Amino acid sequence: MSEIKPRNGASSYQVEIKLRPDYTDAEGQGALGLLHSLGVNTAREVRASRLYELRGALTSAQVQQAARELLCDPVTQEFRMFNGHTPVLNGMNHWRIEVWLKPSVTDPVGDTVRAALEEMGLAAAESVRVGTAYHVTGKCGRNQLEKAVARSLANPVIHRFTVTEAPL
Amino acid sequence: MTVAAPEKELKTVEKPKVFAFNALSLKDLKALSAESLWSFNEAELLAIQAHFKAQRREPRAAEVETLAQTWSEHCKHKTFTGPIRYNDGKKTRLIKNLFDETIAKATKQVAKPWCLSVFKDNAGVVAFGKKWALAYKVETHNHPCAVEPYGGAETGVGGVVRDILGVGLGAKPVLNTDIFCFAPPAYEGPLPEGTLAPLRTLRSVVAGVRDYGNRMGIPTAAGGIWFDADYRLNPLVFVGTVGVLPVWAVKKEIKPGDLIVTVGGRTGRDGLHGATFSSANLTDEAPASAVQIGHAINEKRALDALLCARDRKLYRAVTDCGAGGFSSAVGEMADGLGARVRLENAKLKASDLKPWEIWLSESQERMVLAVPPKNLKALEAVFSAEGCELSVIGEFVKSGRLVVTFKDETVVDLDLKFLHKGLPRVERTAVWDVPKPSSKGAVTKLKLAEILQRCLAHLNVCSRETIIRQYDHEVQGGTVIKPLQGVRHDGPGDACVIWPHAATGDMEDLSGFAVSHGLNPEYGKTDPYRMALACADEALRNLLCVGADVSRAAFLDNFCWASPEDPHQLGRLVRAAEGARDAAIGFGVPFISGKDSFYNQSKDVNGKDLPIPGTLLISAVAPVPDVSKALTMDIKGPGNALYLLGWTSEELCGSLYNEVCGLSGGSVPEVEVRSALDGYRAVGSAIAKGLVLSAHDLSEGGLAAALSEMCFSGEFGAAIDLDDVARSGSIYSNEALLFSESPSRVLLEVKPENEAAFLKCAKGATVKRIGETIANPILKVRGLDGLVVLEEPLSALKTAWQRTLPEAME
Amino acid sequence: MKSPKVLVLRAAGTNCDLETANALAHLGAKPERVHISELRSGKAKLMSYDILVIPGGFSYGDDIGAGRVFANQVRLYLKDLRQFVRLGRPVIGICNGFQVLVKAGILPLSNTCEQTAGFTFNDSGRFEARWVHLRINTQSSCLFFKGLPEMIELPVAHGEGKLVLKSPRQLEELKKNKSIAMQYVSDDGKLAGYPYNPNGSVFNIAALSNPEGNCLGLMPHPERFTSIHHHPNWTRQTFRKETVGLAMFRNAVDYCRG
Repeated sequence: MSEIKPRNGASSYQVEIKLRPDYTDAEGQGALGLLHSLGVNTAREVRASRLYELRGALTSAQVQQAARELLCDPVTQEFRMFNGHTPVLNGMNHWRIEVWLKPSVTDPVGDTVRAALEEMGLAAAESVRVGTAYHVTGKCGRNQLEKAVARSLANPVIHRFTVTEAPL
Repeated sequence: MTVAAPEKELKTVEKPKVFAFNALSLKDLKALSAESLWSFNEAELLAIQAHFKAQRREPRAAEVETLAQTWSEHCKHKTFTGPIRYNDGKKTRLIKNLFDETIAKATKQVAKPWCLSVFKDNAGVVAFGKKWALAYKVETHNHPCAVEPYGGAETGVGGVVRDILGVGLGAKPVLNTDIFCFAPPAYEGPLPEGTLAPLRTLRSVVAGVRDYGNRMGIPTAAGGIWFDADYRLNPLVFVGTVGVLPVWAVKKEIKPGDLIVTVGGRTGRDGLHGATFSSANLTDEAPASAVQIGHAINEKRALDALLCARDRKLYRAVTDCGAGGFSSAVGEMADGLGARVRLENAKLKASDLKPWEIWLSESQERMVLAVPPKNLKALEAVFSAEGCELSVIGEFVKSGRLVVTFKDETVVDLDLKFLHKGLPRVERTAVWDVPKPSSKGAVTKLKLAEILQRCLAHLNVCSRETIIRQYDHEVQGGTVIKPLQGVRHDGPGDACVIWPHAATGDMEDLSGFAVSHGLNPEYGKTDPYRMALACADEALRNLLCVGADVSRAAFLDNFCWASPEDPHQLGRLVRAAEGARDAAIGFGVPFISGKDSFYNQSKDVNGKDLPIPGTLLISAVAPVPDVSKALTMDIKGPGNALYLLGWTSEELCGSLYNEVCGLSGGSVPEVEVRSALDGYRAVGSAIAKGLVLSAHDLSEGGLAAALSEMCFSGEFGAAIDLDDVARSGSIYSNEALLFSESPSRVLLEVKPENEAAFLKCAKGATVKRIGETIANPILKVRGLDGLVVLEEPLSALKTAWQRTLPEAME
Repeated sequence: MKSPKVLVLRAAGTNCDLETANALAHLGAKPERVHISELRSGKAKLMSYDILVIPGGFSYGDDIGAGRVFANQVRLYLKDLRQFVRLGRPVIGICNGFQVLVKAGILPLSNTCEQTAGFTFNDSGRFEARWVHLRINTQSSCLFFKGLPEMIELPVAHGEGKLVLKSPRQLEELKKNKSIAMQYVSDDGKLAGYPYNPNGSVFNIAALSNPEGNCLGLMPHPERFTSIHHHPNWTRQTFRKETVGLAMFRNAVDYCRG
């Protein structure tokens, strides 16, 4: 979870929800298949996780509560806070792909989360956006990955995406 | 990693509020139109200019935008309803209105009293029993699916479901259908920048239909896919919905003073320019804001609340917000009356929307109601209980004008007569290039078994199970005849039968309805007229095969074509429309609703225009009086007689046989309507008497494919003799008998003890016993010379049929 | 008691409520389809009903996780649900309703209201609708199964139906207190893999109940087999008079009638 304060006291947080490692990650496996079919044969494993960006006059404790009681399943998932300064380790073998809907595109899941937060008494979330992160293990080229993502996991017409060396 | 600062919201395009329009030359008008993405033609621009000159004022920006939406091909069907100068290869004549002279003419001539509402509302409506009616609509969502297939498919389903919610006073959706035309998933040729790979389009469209339909709780239980490389730049996605509504709710009537109430999703900057976008040729600069992803749960909320409010009679009219947003929805509802709209009252997704954006936004999941003021409180209570938002944005008045304001600012003040009747008609030219008779195809060296396996494995025939299972095709507990049939629930059904009484609550009523489709663009490449007849015939036969009452069938037409500005394309369209007309009149089946989509052509990598094959989808619906008498296509047991209905001629042009053997030529299957109809009546009465165990229609791959499917689905073999097939004198080859695609044929399984009664029913129809079912799981065919020409284990045939699509979609 | 009152609980996205209520009405019960907003406002009260049904669907789009938002609401607005279960009144959660019961900590029942099981995506990676063979646990005292044969067929339709448990020890506990109500099996009754087990659930679990047997959660849809014409092979076979789904609902209704 990271926090930045862009304007007038409203904060922005990111929460990442991961499937616990002992469960089959069907979404990640599907993504791996897509990358392979586009020639990224060096990718060995993909784990998918869900990203939430919460914006509003929220405290860090409130976001913790939201993650614990709403966003994260206590049995199958774990949530993590990642701040902006984790050192990049072994970047060539670990990549992180993030896919978000563009701001002009309606985010139905974000709407559901915002309403559910309100029901929990956290009415201060002004907007919630949802994204997906893919953690790719394997020696890949950035260019090749970016091209493959634009042709499979993201559609540049409605998504923005980033491919970065993964923080561990 | 640092988190990027929130991206700036999509910028509002600053439009001048008033144009300097009236003084522009035609050239400048055209430039302005192109720059503004309006898709007006010259005559339309001049008509608008003349209108405002007469008013002695310049048009406001939102007024021109409103006209652009309302006069778009998408909303006004200019090609189908405009004049066409048509040369049929011999002489030229003027078609004043193609729609009136073909589709509408057929419906008028057939004159069925059970057609309760045709062509005028959001869907066609037919009677279903005494108290209920069925509404059916099929839409296309081609351009959005080409650009963003997942979101395009979702919003396509959402849109057609809203058509059903907006027909009459609202119907409950009980069935979704989906038909796709794509390039083969393995297509590996070059594609222009921005065109998505066919496999991706296929996967994403399936996912979109699945996620929206499943979330809405509407079974997706009927459909099909057609693969042809010429759809690679312009994939087609047809989505349909059937709804049930009480007969009293078929009519809507707005009274002056009724409030204009919007319900469902909020209005945002998303989806601007959808209507004009869908009429423009697809370029790589498709406006991103025209593409959306759906919010199924918002639409489900609206559905639940709306039907509750309908039954409490809280509103007088409803329509959906589709292309053109409020401008089209309110504009249409106000036709004949007038409307006063205050946009500041609309609920918005972002507070900084410009008035014209609110007015024209195509944000999804919105409906517009006409509500008597005294019912507003009760209506608010119903919607708030479902967590569905509502806002009052104005009222209907008796002014003949559409007046839209935002606070003190006038956004639109238009004469409704001009808006709805002022569209100038442009005459188009059409030429029909009569195809040269092509000689009979050469002979293939392939063995019959090899040809059969190739047919079954072909993308246009193979099993669709991998897709169908992703759709919740049994929600609502009414899918009595399922899309997958047979011992192992995996055989290809001809049609689905829906028992919709979870919606009506009448648990003792055993009546239902069946839905089917006919589509074969391959025939149309040679002869669009015969294609149209064959499509109608196939749709009807599919209904017959599940036990529906085809004398009560109704058709829907969906034409998807390339540019109508190309006279040759338009000529083919005229032929197809005439075929549809003759089929409807001949079979006595009315068209009740339809839709068209033009400009399905784009520039390929070499900059050359690639048009899609002219495509006509005929959807059919018919009641099944007693669903407990419905049929499936799987063989039920050994020792039963196999009867073939209909004549077989050598009709192989456009056939699957030609394709898998690499041949061409021959004649396109031709429907002989009168004898076909006699056959359907005869078989229909035998089915109604319970004399038929299973029935399956013959289509792509002919007799061989149909018989294989029946056998491996039922896990019983069959032995037939080709010499017993009723055939025209000119057939001398086993190949032609096995693979010809002569229309109007159905294969039937009859118990030996019922054969006499069956034949009595079938008197007057061409019905021949061609063999019997056997316990041994093989397909055994005796040829014209009396020798066994084909003997294949069912397992090999089934494997060939099942393997293709899962492999293609991996 | 003549006609038990049934609360058929709805939320935005619930979509199997109508056919479920129809089946119950057909059996002479009095089903009421009630939106959870009415329990929030206090207009409807759980304790005034004899049976609770949480039907299938995609509550709130299953947007955060199947049934998650609805389960949080159940925790908030059906505070007396544990009491309802303890009183022995029948509770059945179907598909999405099962997911809600698990995520609300009702099944498997723990003393702390803690959620001890969960659901992840099907191993196949996609939503699937198909008929499955099921074996009812003969040791189960579940009131919904009275008189049913050991082997039955019902349809499933879900994307996120793979049941997982917190620990292997929990599985042993569930076995011991007879809480595993139904398992996915092959047509000859054996525990088998895909497609017989349509989602990859641990130990092929298709349904869980509380040890007392009045609270049942199951992924298959009994309301979709309340007429023989629902079965995929009704045109090929003959069937015993009452369908499995209807019998399950009838058991609950008869139980309330005493």
